[in-house]
Formats: sequence, C-alpha cells, structure tokens
Amino acid sequence: MIKFLIKGLSRDRSRSLFPILMVSTGAFLTVVLYGWIKGAMNDIIDSSARFDTGHIKVMTQAYKELSDQVPNDLAILGVSNLLGELRSEENNILWTPRIRFGGLLDIPDSLGETRSQGPVMGLGVDFSSESNDKNILNIEKALVTGHLPQKKNELLISEDFSNKLGVKIGESATLVSSTMNGSMAMYNFKICGIVRFGVTAMDRGAVIGDINGIRDALDMPDGASEILGYSKDMLYNEAEMTKLAQKFNKKYFKKTDEFSPVMLTLSEQNGLKEYIVIIDFFGTILVMIFVVAMSIVLWNAGLMNALRRYGEIGLRLAMGESKGILYGRMILESVFIGLAGSLLGTFFGLILSYYLQYHGFDITSMMQKSTMVMSNIIRARVSLTSYYIGFLPGLFASVIGTMFAGIGIYKRKTSQLFKELEI
Amino acid sequence: MNLVTIKNMTKRYPIGNSEFTALSNINLEFEKGEFCGIIGPSGSGKTTLLNIIGSLDTPSAGSTVVLGKDIGNLSEKEAAKLRSRHMGFIFQTYNLLPVCTVYENVEFPLLLINMTPNERKKKVISALEWVHLTDKINSRPNQLSGGQAQRVSIARAMVKQPELVLADEPTANLDAENSRNILDAMVNLNKELQTTFIFATHDEKVITYLKRKIFLVDGKVTSDGK
Repeated sequence: MIKFLIKGLSRDRSRSLFPILMVSTGAFLTVVLYGWIKGAMNDIIDSSARFDTGHIKVMTQAYKELSDQVPNDLAILGVSNLLGELRSEENNILWTPRIRFGGLLDIPDSLGETRSQGPVMGLGVDFSSESNDKNILNIEKALVTGHLPQKKNELLISEDFSNKLGVKIGESATLVSSTMNGSMAMYNFKICGIVRFGVTAMDRGAVIGDINGIRDALDMPDGASEILGYSKDMLYNEAEMTKLAQKFNKKYFKKTDEFSPVMLTLSEQNGLKEYIVIIDFFGTILVMIFVVAMSIVLWNAGLMNALRRYGEIGLRLAMGESKGILYGRMILESVFIGLAGSLLGTFFGLILSYYLQYHGFDITSMMQKSTMVMSNIIRARVSLTSYYIGFLPGLFASVIGTMFAGIGIYKRKTSQLFKELEI
Repeated sequence: MNLVTIKNMTKRYPIGNSEFTALSNINLEFEKGEFCGIIGPSGSGKTTLLNIIGSLDTPSAGSTVVLGKDIGNLSEKEAAKLRSRHMGFIFQTYNLLPVCTVYENVEFPLLLINMTPNERKKKVISALEWVHLTDKINSRPNQLSGGQAQRVSIARAMVKQPELVLADEPTANLDAENSRNILDAMVNLNKELQTTFIFATHDEKVITYLKRKIFLVDGKVTSDGK
C-alpha cells in the first residue's frame, strides 16, 4: 500500500509538487532566518564578551553602579592579589585585568604644538604571558601595520582614528585624561601599530596600550577597572558562570563596603539577558508563524486536493477502505510530502546558512554612527538546531494541514456514493 | 442458503419535518450464481436498494442479511470489511484511478485485503485475461476507450472473486456494441465463477441479458420474474 501511495504522489504532480514546494520554501526560510538571527545574536554577544563584558566580570560595587561613565576613581586596587587568588581558585577560567578609560588624544607637530586631536576611548591590556588578552581581543590579527606594545609608553591606534588624526607609526601622541585621584593626567605615548577591529565603535576612536603604561598614565598602581574572566573554549555557559559568580560573591561581596569586589555574568551586563530573551522569543515566533501559516496553506491545498480527488476517495470508500484507514493513509501521504519538502528546504537552507556563516554580510555602511560593540560583518551560525528547526515544523505543518482537510472524509455518506460516483 | 435475504425492509429519508419513503416493505431473496436486475424508472428506489445490499446504507425497518450479516447491525468498519472482502462494484462512469495503470487499478482491491504480491499478480493477470485486456496492462485510464475502461472496472470488481457484484447502470455510457461486449463478459464470469450479479438498470440492452427481473415502482416491488 505504501508503494501505491508513493506511486500516486510521484505521478500526480498537483498532489505532490505544490505542497512539497510550499513546505520546502517554509523550511528553507526558517533555517536561513534562524541561522541568521542566531549568528547576529552570537556576534553581538561574542563581540560584547571580548571587548566589554567578558564571560564574567569583577569590579567594585561602586564602579558597577556607574560603569557607563568608566569611573576609574572607583576601580579595583590590589589587583595582583585578587588576580592571584582567582587564578589559583578558578584555574579553568582565563583571567585578565583591563583598564577602560576615556580622554583626549593630542598629536603634536615638530614644535610640540597641537597638530590634531580627538576624543578617545582606550583599553589598558595585559600583554604579559600570564594573560591571554591579546588573543581574546584578536589584536595580532587586527594589526594592520606596526607591532604590539613592547614598552610601557607604546600605543596602538585604530585605523580610522589614525587617518582622522593624521598620525603615523613612530609619532608621539599625548593622552589627556584624569588620574584615579581626580587630577589631570597627561602622558606621552609613541604610536607603535595601527589596528582594525572590524567593530565600528572601536575603529572610530580607540587606542590600546599596555596596562602597566596606562596605570602609570592614570596613576593607578596595581589597579584595574575590571578583571574579566573567559572560559577556555571561549563559549559562554550561563549556568556555569552564574554558579561561579554566586560562589565569588558569597566570599568577597560585602554589602556595607562599596569598594568590595562583585562578580557579574555576561547576561547581567548591558541588558544582554533581555536581549537574549528577546532574540529567543523572536526565534520562537518565527517558527510559530511558519507552522501556523504553512498549516493554513497546506490545509487549503489539502481541501483543494480532496475536491480534486473526490471521486477517488468515494471509490475507495465504496470498495471497502474504512474511513479511519483512508484518513490514516492520507496522513501518511502528507508525512511523505512533509519529509520530502522539509528535507529539501533544510538542505538548501543549510547550504545558504553555511555560505553566510563563512562569507557573512557586510553592514559597515549601516554602522557608521553605531556605538554598539558588534562586528561589522553579520554571519549566520549553523548549529545543531538548524538541522531540525525547519524540518520538524515542515513535517508538522504538512500533517496538521492534511488532518484538517481530511476531516471531510468522515463527513462523506457512503449512501450517496453511487450517486456521487455517477457524476 | 441464500446469499441475500431481505425481509419487510423499508427505507425512509427525512425531508424537513416529514419523511420520504424510498423503499417500502421489500421482500427479496438472492441465491448464489444469480444474474438479475432491479429495473425501474428514475426515482423508483433501485440505487437505494443496491446501496443497502452493498452495505453502503442501512434499512430504516425490517432486515437485510447479506452473506449472513445483518446490514442494519453492522458498524461502519464491519460494513467496509464486508464490501472489501465479499463484494465488487461496477459504476456507470467506471471510476478508475487516473494516476494508476490498468494493472494497478485492478490490483487495488487486493491491496485492501492485504494479499501477498505473488498472489496479487496471478489474480490481476487472470482478471485481465477474463476481460481480454492483457495487452493494456501498462496503459493509463485516459488511454482507454469507454468500453475498455468499463472492462477494466469489471476486472477490478471481479479480481478478488467476490460472492456478489453490484452494478449500477454499467452500460449507460456505452454504445450498443460495447454494451454487448461488456454484458457478454459478465455473463461468462457469472457462469464460470458462479458470481451473483445484481444490476440496477432501466437499459433495455441490459434487461435482455437478465435471468431474473425485479421491477420496482415508487419503492415497491411490483414484479419479480424468477
């Protein structure tokens, strides 16, 4: 009987081709859109983690409250001790201190007069062998020309910013900022390299220096704005990080001491938790819309099909195929259609998703005024879910559509079959 | 033992608040190997009677026993089983499955009773030999003439060698020559296999072939020419 059903489907294109095309289009769109949403979400999370939040972050309670303003007067002191403890207690996490700062970068001419200047945001990064921060920030890959800071007073500058200021490697740059104690800080650096991060917010006006040099510049001995932690595989695990944060806060957090350290997970920073929830919500909505829309379309197609096959269904009932079995066989047909459509749609959806995963979509022109820490190239991400996110709804929509349409079988009166079959 | 026994059978249909009596107090018996017809004008109740004998409908009163089963007491599933195993149907408009070949159309009733492929093949070939269509095995219904299509539907009705074949106006769409061919084929099968044929017809061509003629007027049997 299965052979009979398959033959019917393969020979009657209006019974198979149209529904298969519908299902495969739906599955294709779902796979691609899901991969695209996931890719964009992960890009934003990954960029945020690398440049800003870490998978986990330690700062003082007071710094946390005003962290948007980068208040280095509230930064952590005694970093080496705390870092030592963290590295020994949680050795499966990569720990690294960072100083975030803002200020003005002044480029002098040969006489020491201002040639150009511009507002700058900066990072003090630990380039020592103990820290893996240069790899986390992909600084070596981002280096367009020059070398990484080897001395305290060497500074990397982003490419767009260097063009804007007209500064070249080997030239001096003066950072004008404020020290940890609130007094004016002026420190001379030498540009040692030019970098392009591929993140508009960074490329527009960022500098990176050795953390020890920045400490000297901002008068922050053994201090850091924050200590960031990353899992060694660089994959964010919410449950693991939450557990770690709870353990740390239980030990170090003191409600009455605003300078006591507090640990936050990635999702607890910058509204990322809400962002993840929203993205997941949209992902679910997308799949729901697909299932409902496809079910309605396939229900309609099933009704049209049932009208076209009115005679065949009547004949089969007259010949002794019971209504239940006939209904079951129509559903079985829809399973074949759903399988074929879903497999095709998923296959082509995965091909496009893989293509977008490797080549991505350049949105640099849209990001000119963006302050978001996210990559300029949005890529899709193919995950295990991509393999079934379109496949299962495609199959369900096909079956549900046929189940609705097939109810008509139960409304047929066998007593009318002779008359109906004479038409 | 009778193949079909109808006793005091009445069939009524509700029409609005009243009822229409399609068949009234029918008493008939059909034996194995009969070649008989229910004859009457349109609206006389021929098809309704065929429906009830074929377990497609149930009587409102009285009893109709077919192959030992009381049609009035059968569930939908039991009625379907009775039709699939013991009855063949021939329709006025052939009703062949358009996407299936001649072979597959004839094979279909055997799929419903889960026969093995080898057995099916033997039976289908035999059935097509009975109606002289072995050369059209791979043809589709749209490649057949009306007479050929009706012969395929006879082969389909006969392939499982049912005890009872019900035919509703089987020659209505055929010319005289094709009608004769079809009726000759059915007469031969009736003789050869002792299958009972019950026709519903008002076609003179069919009536001349019948061994027993039951006349029905306004839902009542007016004459039973055994």
